[in-house]
Amino acid sequence: MGTTASQLGKDMLSEYQELTFLTKQEILLAHKRFTELLTKDEKDLPNTRVSEERILTLPELKSNPFRKRICHVFSTSEYKDGSLTFEDFLDLLSAFSDSATLEIKSHYAFRIFDFDDDGTLDCGDLEKLVNCLTGETDDTRLTTEEMRQLISNILEESDIDKDGTVNLSEFQHVISRSPDFVSSFKIVL
Amino acid sequence: MAYNNVNFMRLLSEESSHSTVSSDSCEYYQTEIFDQLPSIQASRPEQSRQACEDYQGGSEAGEEVSHDSRGPKVKASTQPLRNLVMCIQGRRGVRDRRKMQISNIGFWESWRRSQSINRKRVWAQMGGTLSGLLPWQHTLHAIEGRFGVGVKAYFVFLRYLVYLNLLHCALIGGFVLGPTAFYGRGKNSEPLTFGGDDSVLDFFQGSGYLDRSPVFFGFYTPGSLNLQCLNTPLLYLTGILTILFLSLILVVRRTTVGYKHTWMLGKRHSMNVSYKIFCGWDFTIQDPPAAALKHSFIRNDLKLFLEEQSFSLREAQRTLGQRVRLYLLRFVLNLLVLTLLGGAFSLIYFATKTSQDERDHYWLVRLVIHYLPPITISFVNLLLPHIFRKISSFEDYSFTVQVNTLLVRSIFLKLASLGIYLFFIFTTIELNQQKNHFHCRENLFGREMYKLCIFNFLCTFCNAFLLNYPRKLLQEKYPSSLLAWLWRKQHFLIPFNVLDLVYSQTVCWVGVYYCPLLPLIGAVTLMATFYIQKFTVLRCCVAEQRMFRGSSSSVLFHFMLMLGLLMAAATLGFNLYEQEVTTGKNMSSCGPFGNGESVFNVTGVCVDSLPSPAQSTLRYLASAAFALPLILAEIILLTSYVSRGRANQKAIERLKDMLVMICAFPLQSSSDKRFLVKQHTTVLRRLRNPPRVRSAAIKEDVPLNH
Repeated sequence: MGTTASQLGKDMLSEYQELTFLTKQEILLAHKRFTELLTKDEKDLPNTRVSEERILTLPELKSNPFRKRICHVFSTSEYKDGSLTFEDFLDLLSAFSDSATLEIKSHYAFRIFDFDDDGTLDCGDLEKLVNCLTGETDDTRLTTEEMRQLISNILEESDIDKDGTVNLSEFQHVISRSPDFVSSFKIVL
Repeated sequence: MAYNNVNFMRLLSEESSHSTVSSDSCEYYQTEIFDQLPSIQASRPEQSRQACEDYQGGSEAGEEVSHDSRGPKVKASTQPLRNLVMCIQGRRGVRDRRKMQISNIGFWESWRRSQSINRKRVWAQMGGTLSGLLPWQHTLHAIEGRFGVGVKAYFVFLRYLVYLNLLHCALIGGFVLGPTAFYGRGKNSEPLTFGGDDSVLDFFQGSGYLDRSPVFFGFYTPGSLNLQCLNTPLLYLTGILTILFLSLILVVRRTTVGYKHTWMLGKRHSMNVSYKIFCGWDFTIQDPPAAALKHSFIRNDLKLFLEEQSFSLREAQRTLGQRVRLYLLRFVLNLLVLTLLGGAFSLIYFATKTSQDERDHYWLVRLVIHYLPPITISFVNLLLPHIFRKISSFEDYSFTVQVNTLLVRSIFLKLASLGIYLFFIFTTIELNQQKNHFHCRENLFGREMYKLCIFNFLCTFCNAFLLNYPRKLLQEKYPSSLLAWLWRKQHFLIPFNVLDLVYSQTVCWVGVYYCPLLPLIGAVTLMATFYIQKFTVLRCCVAEQRMFRGSSSSVLFHFMLMLGLLMAAATLGFNLYEQEVTTGKNMSSCGPFGNGESVFNVTGVCVDSLPSPAQSTLRYLASAAFALPLILAEIILLTSYVSRGRANQKAIERLKDMLVMICAFPLQSSSDKRFLVKQHTTVLRRLRNPPRVRSAAIKEDVPLNH
């Protein structure tokens, strides 16, 4: 069942269509883009991993402040180095595709925002998240006072059980009420 | 089985070390109810990821986990594979297991399932192909990539208007143009030729050649199709009314759909900041400059919010004296705004009066005089919003209120100036006609609408190519010159551009009765506008400073459109009514309603020709005796809807309370809840025992890879 990287069999194609939200054209395009990232020797090997640095050269990810998190979340690597196989890559595109459901999208969004991978968004996660949004440099960041005010606002709104963190169901509750989320949580090749 | 349980326990205790439930027996986790609880689904990502990783590592643990937790399996067999939150390998495993199940459930069931999957796929493909056929998809994507959702909303709105106008064209073609072309026009109409004292200028003035052409009302004289209930006047009227009603339905539907999204969900748990944070980033952005822009958007937006919060704090601390002074200031400023509006309206009046002057001038002067009212309206609409902006900065409102008041004043200015213009035009045409009996009054009115429409388009065109583009070029060539610094960067101001669109669409609706080809002209100009605006945005603009939320702004757009439509309907109704009143003295004898017919009596003639039962029914429907029960029925219906809405509101409140409880469940799990779950488990086990043995047996045979 290995995928030789240079071509995509017909049965694999239909299998991927079944397992992801992507259409045939999208899968083929994804495959083309993915093989472009591989070196000559790697093209003949099955299930090659592409390192995080090379994935991040894709223009679709290059200017995304969450690019490292995205790679990390979708990577199935044992070493947690953020490297992706072709199937991980398809997974990524599937979750970010037009037809993925709100549930899937919000789920992955939560994992992307959960910087320390502990299953909840606590103050540290939120601070990192806000910093990613406003820009990482010192002059673009919010001041400490502003940050404190902002985080207390967020928690007041979305931390329904008042335990000081936002868990997945609370997160999905917020997301489900934002009509803009599905249209903006999207990466199309 | 024991191994599985241990394994499962290990995973669970890893992931839920913060919860207090992990000390219970493992049956507790194996119930469906527990699996369906949001709190458990909340902790599932860890589990499924664990499953994926274990699977990759070659151990069978992942497989066993999803086998043991029966809930997802039962649920999953109805859920499409792609909806499962796990990596592809995991989904593959689930699929293989499902295939095994299918072989057990018999031929018929398996065929049915595969059929339903195939059907779904065909539908999805068809949907995909259809959405690929929508025009400008690629352009919208590019714009979205560089400017985010807000600017895209403008273009989507523009596209919607193009569709609307094309629909109108089809209706006009069917109801008005078709019958006229097929059954011909009256015998006394001369053939249409371009000649005599016609000039190209007529295309801008809507006079001469165009006046006789199908563009205007006067062309559609009654033809040979002259049955009692099927004649060209009646079809004409039906066509126009259909257009107005259809637009009303479409626009109201769009508005309510958006409205439901935005406001209906209640305001108790307002989620504004959380939206800004959790849904803030637009993942479609690819351009590094656009990304930098988005960063600054978000930063400004957040700072704005924090500022507003402290502003409201400051507002609460104002002393009485300060408050009185502020209200006085606001009162004076509002008076100033009203004065400005009044001045603008009187300016429009004078312009209209001058333009109706039928004296001979040099052609250029004549053209300018003809276009004086549109020019005045545009000038006023260009200048006043900027003055309003300056004024509202003195009023010490918070920033959002400032922008909203600005928008409301601008909307009022735009629609009201159009309304005033229509009113004046109507009265001056009336006067003119009484002075010198010359041709069709409807044509004159249609001509004004035609001019407004053309001028609006010319404005857009000039704005793009004579103002924005040179400006951009200047900035690129001489970035350090004083002029370039003065003009600074060009922003795409969504609200004002949308106002322009709404305005032109309103003109189109008002004029469609007098100028049936106006929707066609509108569709063509809108398409051209699309490309012009695309050029402006992509070539000349940096995106606007304020972030516009896609959803809420599109509600606002459609709401404005609805206001425009209502205004158009009111104008048309008023005009027709006025015509009916004055008709006795002053019969206009052009268009479909010649020789004694009017909008009001053509339907009457038709009704008179019907058989008597139908006639009496129709008369009853139109009488006051029917209106009373109708109103009563409507009141009852409305009351029931209102009470249903209230009940729903209460239910929502209660659900919100329950939500608080459910979200808090992992930490507050009390012993009685556990007890209930346990009870449920034992009942389930008694029911499930035989099938479970069988599924365990199947599991032994499942090959891992294939």
